[in-house]
Amino acid sequence: MRILTLIASTFRELLTKATIYVLAGISTLILLGVLAGFSSSSGTEGTTILLFGNPIGPAIPAEAVAEFVNQMVAGFAKGMFAGVVLFGIFATAGIIPDVLEKGTVDLYLSKPLGRWELLLGKYLGGVCVVFVNILYFLGGMAIIFGIRLGTWDLQFFLSSLMLTFVFACLYSVVGFLGVVFRNAAIPIIGAFLYLLIVGPVLHQREMGLFLISENVVYRGVVDGCYYLLPQLSGMMDGVASLILRQEIDWKPYAQSLLSSGLFLGGGVFILSKRDF
Amino acid sequence: MHAIQSDSLSKVYRTGISKQHITALDGFSLEVNKGEVFGLLGPNGAGKTTFIKILLSLTRPTSGRASILGKELPDNKVKERIGYLPENHRYPGYLTGVQVLSLFGRLSGVENATLQKRIPSLMALVGITEWRAMKVKKYSKGMMQRLGLAQALINDPEVVFLDEPTDGVDPVGRKEIRGILLDLKNQGKTIFLNSHLLSEVELISDRVAILDRGKLLKVGTVEELTTTGSQYQIGIASSLPEDLKTEAAARSMHLTPGAEFITATIENVTALNSLIDLLRKHRVEITSVVKVKSSLEDSFINLIKREVAS
Repeated sequence: MRILTLIASTFRELLTKATIYVLAGISTLILLGVLAGFSSSSGTEGTTILLFGNPIGPAIPAEAVAEFVNQMVAGFAKGMFAGVVLFGIFATAGIIPDVLEKGTVDLYLSKPLGRWELLLGKYLGGVCVVFVNILYFLGGMAIIFGIRLGTWDLQFFLSSLMLTFVFACLYSVVGFLGVVFRNAAIPIIGAFLYLLIVGPVLHQREMGLFLISENVVYRGVVDGCYYLLPQLSGMMDGVASLILRQEIDWKPYAQSLLSSGLFLGGGVFILSKRDF
Repeated sequence: MHAIQSDSLSKVYRTGISKQHITALDGFSLEVNKGEVFGLLGPNGAGKTTFIKILLSLTRPTSGRASILGKELPDNKVKERIGYLPENHRYPGYLTGVQVLSLFGRLSGVENATLQKRIPSLMALVGITEWRAMKVKKYSKGMMQRLGLAQALINDPEVVFLDEPTDGVDPVGRKEIRGILLDLKNQGKTIFLNSHLLSEVELISDRVAILDRGKLLKVGTVEELTTTGSQYQIGIASSLPEDLKTEAAARSMHLTPGAEFITATIENVTALNSLIDLLRKHRVEITSVVKVKSSLEDSFINLIKREVAS
């Protein structure tokens, strides 16, 4: 009950942030572009996909249209994730440090509310807002492709959930940094550093970091960092695999779930030991 | 059962790289009875807010124990029965006054149906009904303070902690808030007050404690704290005859004559009656007899000065 109240209030708080509207606006523009750009014409030889009235290839059978749509949605999903990270992290990074500020945290913690509930409520509120944005974009994309190309696919809902999970894993690190440093700047810097440098470098460690040294301890530390942090690249590959009907490697999800649990648990632990 | 009880409560903060120790509370023991208005006074940094924060489990004590309404702390459940108005509180600016009360009411565990009735009445009580739909970021300091008071009362608490409740409120508003607090007292609620405005504490508190550098200096009723030993002011309608002064001095009665009164320092009530008899014997007309009191502020300052000197 109290967690739901916190989630709802965080949701409301985030709806006042301009960055969320920028993300929704960009999503809307892309959706309108897809709506205006894509259409199809059916003939005896199959379906021809048109982009602004011009055929983008020869006529193809219905199954191939579905495959084309899946490829498109997978590409948009990856692009969407970049947008979610950029705007979503900017919008949500401040909500945990904000609630821990003097004068605010006193109000919340003077209520019969556990510190873990406060952190989890704020965290889930941030994740919910991002989920709505992802659902709006991928759902809109699925509906538009359904209307324009006649291919209906409910996979978008599952891929929205998976994409939200990827964000939730990254956001657990942001939330942890927010608890530790009690400001929004360091979590934002940390998230982008991880996303653009640390994550890819660790993901490709065999072709990079492992070449520096063959020392077992060194490689063990690198491996430890890789498995300790959420594996965004691996999970993003999984989202694309889902949309493209390919086999999904669930290992990165399981490891990321564990690592997110550790970050959130660490955040709760630090919060529970802190004097306000 | 006391409303609030602390037993040898200590809090030591460790700050900076050198982990320098700062003692905020030092073996602080206090008992606050149910249904009383209790004022905690002390200079800045005395440990007043730390004490409240320990009671609300915002801060953990280094040692000692505390309880509220008989429940040993920390206890989250007991928070359903207490209200708190922090100093320098910050409400989410994007919410209206009604939404703030609704949010904190729900977090306090109050049912929605109850909130529907309670929010308008609380807003009326603190005098912010006409701003109910305004975003709180547009509220003035005084309006925020009134909203804060309503928030502290949203769960109909048995114990209310108020940290500087009239901070930023104009004199009329302060009087209104005092009235609300006295009403709450009449309803049997316990009010624990932290305030720098000693005159205000004096007006509404049943008992007062003075805290300095984490230590309890004195606790008692306002009467006890403001009574200055055995001094009486006796109103007189005529001047004192010289032989009366001599006789009084012989009886160890120290008299300080004024234009319309004398201030007498005497040992006890018996001596006071002897003095009155002496005045009457010399046909001095008495218009009043008043026990001399200092203001709470004077008592507070004297006590702190003595503590610093020692």
